[in-house]
Amino acid sequence: MVGALLQAILSGLAVGGAYALVALGFSITFTTTKTLNFSHGEFVSAGAFIGMSALFLVLGLPVTSTTFGQALPGAGAQLLALAAALGVMGLLGWLLYAVGVRPFAGRPGMAWVMSTLGFGVILQSIGLAIWGPKPVVVPGPVGDEVIRLFGIGVRPQELLTLAVAVVIMIGFDFVMNRTMVGKAMRAVAANGNVASLMGINTNAVMIGAFVISSALAGLSGFLLAPIAQASLFMGLTVGLKGFSGAMIGGLSNPRGCVIGGFVLGVFESLVNLWQAQWREVAVFGLVILVLAFRPTGLFGKKLVEKV
Amino acid sequence: MKRTRHLAGVLLAAAALIGITSLFGNDYYLRIVFMMCVYYLCAAGMNVLVGYAGQKSLGQAGLFAAGAYAVALLTTRTELNPWLALVMAAGISAVCGILIALPSLRVKGPYLAMVTLAFGIVVEKLVGEWTEVFGGAQGIYGIKALTWDGQPLTSLQWVWLGIGLCVLTHLLLRNLLQGRFGRALLSLQADEIASSSVGVRVYRAKVIAFVVAAVTCGIAGALVAQQNQYINSDFITFHLSIFILLLVLFGGAGSQYGPLVGTVILTAVDAALARWPSAQHFLYGFLLLFALYVMPGGVTGLLSKWFRRSIEKPELSNADAAPTHIGLAGQGELLVVQGVTKNFGGVKPAQNVSFRLQRGHIHALIGPNGAGKSTMINMLTGLIDPTEGSIRFLGQEVSGQPVHSICCMGMGRTFQNLRLFAELSVLDNVMLGRHSRMTNGFFASLFHLPSAKKQEAATRARALQLLSLVGLLHLAHQPAASLSYGLQRRVELARALATEPQLLLLDEPAAGLNPQETAELGQLLLRIGKCGVSILMVEHHMDLVMSISDHVIVLDYGIKIAEGKPAEVQANPRVVEAYLGVDEPEEAFAAA
Repeated sequence: MVGALLQAILSGLAVGGAYALVALGFSITFTTTKTLNFSHGEFVSAGAFIGMSALFLVLGLPVTSTTFGQALPGAGAQLLALAAALGVMGLLGWLLYAVGVRPFAGRPGMAWVMSTLGFGVILQSIGLAIWGPKPVVVPGPVGDEVIRLFGIGVRPQELLTLAVAVVIMIGFDFVMNRTMVGKAMRAVAANGNVASLMGINTNAVMIGAFVISSALAGLSGFLLAPIAQASLFMGLTVGLKGFSGAMIGGLSNPRGCVIGGFVLGVFESLVNLWQAQWREVAVFGLVILVLAFRPTGLFGKKLVEKV
Repeated sequence: MKRTRHLAGVLLAAAALIGITSLFGNDYYLRIVFMMCVYYLCAAGMNVLVGYAGQKSLGQAGLFAAGAYAVALLTTRTELNPWLALVMAAGISAVCGILIALPSLRVKGPYLAMVTLAFGIVVEKLVGEWTEVFGGAQGIYGIKALTWDGQPLTSLQWVWLGIGLCVLTHLLLRNLLQGRFGRALLSLQADEIASSSVGVRVYRAKVIAFVVAAVTCGIAGALVAQQNQYINSDFITFHLSIFILLLVLFGGAGSQYGPLVGTVILTAVDAALARWPSAQHFLYGFLLLFALYVMPGGVTGLLSKWFRRSIEKPELSNADAAPTHIGLAGQGELLVVQGVTKNFGGVKPAQNVSFRLQRGHIHALIGPNGAGKSTMINMLTGLIDPTEGSIRFLGQEVSGQPVHSICCMGMGRTFQNLRLFAELSVLDNVMLGRHSRMTNGFFASLFHLPSAKKQEAATRARALQLLSLVGLLHLAHQPAASLSYGLQRRVELARALATEPQLLLLDEPAAGLNPQETAELGQLLLRIGKCGVSILMVEHHMDLVMSISDHVIVLDYGIKIAEGKPAEVQANPRVVEAYLGVDEPEEAFAAA
């Protein structure tokens, strides 16, 4: 029993790491531009598939193949795939900002909700046209042999996901709080107009926010693909849970978002242990419960509208 | 006249449509028309939610499922009459609508959109994975179809039923949206704080909008399930939610015929592309991404730009005279503020402040910037709760009461930074002020009962009277945002007067006005005072304050430092000190 519990907590933490990356991505665009990428989930899927296609290319298989067969990519190929996933997703983030967010940002009516959703639907339908709806088994960069740890079996990819997520969070926290770039981002978040008067290129900061946020989504997809198989539909729930994590932690607080992501991953994993079909209901129930008592999340700043 | 003409037009169009469909021998075309009816039902309700109340919902598929699975379970597990099942399905969807509306009371904007999206996904997972009840991808067979004369409806009869329901929905929603409720929903979309300050029960209005959207969507789902006599989890997808939203946005959110236009075009395109699902999805994505950029008002918005109708001429006939009396005649002490303290962390904009307001007087609340004047007004109107102390209005405690009920008690207000409903006309702004004084309820409005008609006419007449009082009658049909700043201030004043206040709170009414306009405002305030309204104004223009007020209260750093007649206050050394600072001690000069 204790073993099963520990197992659940550990895999919850691993998936939670992926949620935390997504949640952080939401937080970054929300604080700097007051907009969210509603197709963040599709970006997660896209990251997985771009990483996968890079692996196909390195192995000399056609991009449109849907299985690796016996081929096993080496470490170099995996690193290359990672770079490709991050790079292409960053570019997509920039494109999304240019066509879907900038024309609507700051205008009433939240038209950007629709446009970012539309961007995701387009990405997904392109993916469906190339690879079809079937999930693809992707070999992980650290092998698929289960490691025994304190008497429980752990997949190395899960440990990798957790480790990468933690490292990224710490690095991001350092950049935001200790460097000039971080200060500029926080200044734009606080008040874009004043920040631009201080000589900060707010447009560049906002593009940067979308690039980083999308790259994080891609990273999360890349890390999740070997755990859960790459599928064009995997992103929707990952994106939603990442957002739920962000809401539980408080969108305006990056550290809160990260904590929220991990909490949600572990919670989901524990519910899964008990009753698998109530997993989603329990997760979103938790979100609604938290919002009912703290509308801006556990660690979010209270919004006060000046009258 | 306009109403009967519209009714005749709609009935004629419906009759024509029924006639044309009777000539179709082809079940395929009948099916397309039936789906148009189904989607129109979804879109018409969704328009209330998105176009009027301004709440983006991305989970309508969940409500569609609620209706569909309700009839499925009711007719397969029980011996319920299919028609009754349809009605009950509408009721069940309404309950789900309330469920999905609950988060909207706490969260706004993107949060809400994401919560509704999550609701849709939860329902999708639930019907897909809880196979014992919902059958999952296997689905539920043997749903009883609606019957006529003991026989299941034919394809043609289904289409007729669909058209009939669409006409009914259109007429009822038109009734609802063209009067009190439509205005209230538009106002909360524009500005929730201003909306509640004119007496609109914001939460309740939002819940009603969610329920209307849920009921029409649930009926649509039930119709589809009953017509197919089958439902499975493949019907309930995120794409359905997006499609329903797109119907409204593409057609034109907030316009009367937008949902119809959107439904006809998109359902036809959908049917044409049915063989290529990925092309279909690509097109939706493309429309979502660019449609709002190219045409923010949807197709109808684009069309109305081309065929711009001339702006209605104001009817001067029934606005004979300015009102002589405003507000209910009340009794008892008007307002007693006792020991009120407010802390915002370390900032204390009110410390143990007490004062009384007299009936029929014009009171002024003055003080240097940061003295806590606006905070005081916000506490009186219920936007902020005081940390300590009591505020009694007409003998009743105000603090802790919701903003709209304080408005109903008879306190009207204007805002320091104008909060008009910018897109609405001047007349609609003022009519919204009377929202809390109108007594026609939801159903009276929905069915356009005589009471609703009478209330609406009375409100219109009163609004025109008030507009003539502030001298804006000739601008009644202009959008509020198109007026100059000074005129907008007067619109806000008229809107506050329309709430029939006994006490009118004005937060810097003369800010941004030139000396000429300020003097005119002074005269106007005196006239309003003569109509029986007591006034408390926060103001920096000392000439205005000193010339019209009967009593002046002075705050400085949250502390009341003086009160009394204007002349007394002017002579008070503490007031002079607060405004001009104190002279350096004389020794200092001597030393220099």
